[in-house]
Amino acid sequence: MDGNYIALAVTLVVWVGLFYFIMSLDKSVKKLEEKIK
Amino acid sequence: MWWKWLLFLGMGVMIYFSFVTPAPQRMIGEASRVFYYHIPQAWICVLAFLMSMIYSIRFLKTKDINFDDKAAEAARLGFIFCILATVTGSIFAKVTWGSFWNWDPRETSVFILLLIYAAYFSLRGAVEIEERKATLSAVYSIFAFVTVPFLIFVVPRMTPSLHPEDSVVNADMKFTMGPAVRMIFFSSLGFFTVLYFWMFSLAKRLKRMERIESEKED
Repeated sequence: MDGNYIALAVTLVVWVGLFYFIMSLDKSVKKLEEKIK
Repeated sequence: MWWKWLLFLGMGVMIYFSFVTPAPQRMIGEASRVFYYHIPQAWICVLAFLMSMIYSIRFLKTKDINFDDKAAEAARLGFIFCILATVTGSIFAKVTWGSFWNWDPRETSVFILLLIYAAYFSLRGAVEIEERKATLSAVYSIFAFVTVPFLIFVVPRMTPSLHPEDSVVNADMKFTMGPAVRMIFFSSLGFFTVLYFWMFSLAKRLKRMERIESEKED
């Protein structure tokens, strides 16, 4: 069961990192779109 | 904006429950938890390749280059999710079958699929004339997708395989999962699908801006 908690923590860290990356990309895309307009 | 935070929370809750509830297949054990991630990734791979084919057909009909961009971006994401499904499948294989790669029919067919789509990107990289590149890759994408149902659903079932066959439905096409497993599995499927469409939207918008910028330069 301890292994499960380690896997859970790793998966959550990966998800938070991925979400942060996509959110940053989303903001950059919006800024670029406004600049092009 | 709200749906992005809903996705963040929902995926987080799904991840939590995927590890703290009993393993979905007790016979296989803890490794069967990979099922909550592996199947949605494989589903996104098929969905993305299907979208790539649809956009390719639309390009051939209209000759609108934006459809070619969308087809390429969908194929790119499909390829990434296919690699992810292969990696999660290999982890499962290591735990249950003792080796990351066994040349099992399922593994072999996904390897062939990866090669087919790697060739799609090679083709795109090899042709410089925009119109020609778009037309050739659209035709290739249509033929490439024809192989997907065979390689994912038919071929692995024609020969004996180590891969579990009744993870979602049994031979009578009835759900084999209990209510809790079903809830987590379908949530995962839904969240992965939303994540894919979000990533696809960003990819196509970036590509469109890239194209506008290059047109301005010309």
